[in-house]
Amino acid sequence: MGMSNDESYPKGLAFELYDSFRSADLSYVYHGLFTQKITDLIILLAEINMNRSGESAKIKKRVFSIMVESLQNITRHQDTTDEYHGFFAIEQKDGNYFVTTVNLIYNKNISHVESLLKKIKSLTPEELKIYYKSVLLENEISEKGGAGLGLIEIARKSNNKVSYHFHRINDEYSYFYFHTCITPQDEGESFDDTDLVQMDNVYLLHQLLKQNGVQIIFNGLFNQESLINLLNIIENQMAGLGRLKRVVFNLMVEMLQNIVKHAVKSTDKDGSQGVFFINKANNQYILNSGNYIDQQEKEPLIRKIEHVNSLSIKELNDYYNQCLFDFQIDNSKESGLGLIELRMKSNNLLQYDFYPVDTNKLFFTLKVIVDSTNL
Amino acid sequence: MKPFTYNGKEDCPKILLDEDLPEFLIAGRSLPEDAFDFYKPVFDWLQEYAKKPKQETVFRFELEYYNTASSKQLSKLFIFLKELQSKVRIVWCYHHDDVDMLENGKRFEKLTGLEFSLVPLPAVDDDNFEIIIN
Repeated sequence: MGMSNDESYPKGLAFELYDSFRSADLSYVYHGLFTQKITDLIILLAEINMNRSGESAKIKKRVFSIMVESLQNITRHQDTTDEYHGFFAIEQKDGNYFVTTVNLIYNKNISHVESLLKKIKSLTPEELKIYYKSVLLENEISEKGGAGLGLIEIARKSNNKVSYHFHRINDEYSYFYFHTCITPQDEGESFDDTDLVQMDNVYLLHQLLKQNGVQIIFNGLFNQESLINLLNIIENQMAGLGRLKRVVFNLMVEMLQNIVKHAVKSTDKDGSQGVFFINKANNQYILNSGNYIDQQEKEPLIRKIEHVNSLSIKELNDYYNQCLFDFQIDNSKESGLGLIELRMKSNNLLQYDFYPVDTNKLFFTLKVIVDSTNL
Repeated sequence: MKPFTYNGKEDCPKILLDEDLPEFLIAGRSLPEDAFDFYKPVFDWLQEYAKKPKQETVFRFELEYYNTASSKQLSKLFIFLKELQSKVRIVWCYHHDDVDMLENGKRFEKLTGLEFSLVPLPAVDDDNFEIIIN
């Protein structure tokens, strides 16, 4: 049995999140702090995901420009208190792409944005073009600059398939949910209700992330390339945290490389589908990973984890040294050190779970807790 | 003997193996997708070097970070150097506040019995460091 007796959040959050992403067809999700640098990395990561699908250059270009505009909206209009994180998701379904963003907005600005969006949605493509130019000339720009133009640009690129929703947080702020659809057909048919249902899913998901103190989450394709980008994002997000940052970085490399090396590869073989997130509870940073493994790997994995969990710190240290110089296990696949390192560096027991998927596959979740007061 | 050099990238360290230089060098971050394969040319080169090594061999490590798969390759490297018919000295550099990297150096020193110089590197602004995106 896995040691999933943690009360700080519902059992199996990693699986619950992964499952909601999957049922919402979200191929790529990021929730966390957004800075210009992080935004660039998110775009790179999204491109890695999109390039796999062999999408036409034309669609890619439109998705790309909508992504850039949406992300710039988040970066410019986000709260700096670290409490309310932005959200970005790309979903791909039946040849259509959906880009959803969530960011903070001052309540006092809602009426302006809402009237702008209503106006945009009422315009034909030709009228939108004219409106875009007039806004450019009139310099009718919000104090943080550019937001109006960004929204018009997104509407133009998506043939006006946009929807939105405001959710009040307190007297000062609300969340601004913004949803765009990019279809291969260029007809300007309007949004139907199913797209709004989709937005409800995103809304619930965003709430779930927030309730569980999720600082950063990535759901998508894991390979060495996405791993490097993710590490970069974490480094940026945790800037200034000294030793804690190094330890988290260290643990994250091992967890992500476990996915890259040991998880079941996706059908296109370019990586493994999975989820990684960090949530925070009091002084604890909790690193979570979830990925598919073959059924036959379950028992050996349990044995390895239970073994490192059963050792004292002194015994772990000896075991680490022993494995370090055990060249019987020395190949491309494994060094035999990853799990020991996770247990030693975190100074906590490793927690894990398995969820049956089909007769051959399991969804494996691993949780590593770092206590920032214990470093 | 023909030197082996590798310029390094975001997940692989820079490597300089050149008899004409006073020190051999491995520097940067080491978290390659396949550490075993990545370090193979290093061992190939050293096999050749071992046939006629210099009287003194100084190997400098300026690693900012390495993963467990790389640490296995490092321990293999130290075992190899231990057997070398040469006076071997390891220069193990660590960022002055990186206690983990210092401990790693001490661990290898203790376990291999090689001569280690543990050298703190001056403070760098942590947040200025980033992996270069191509």
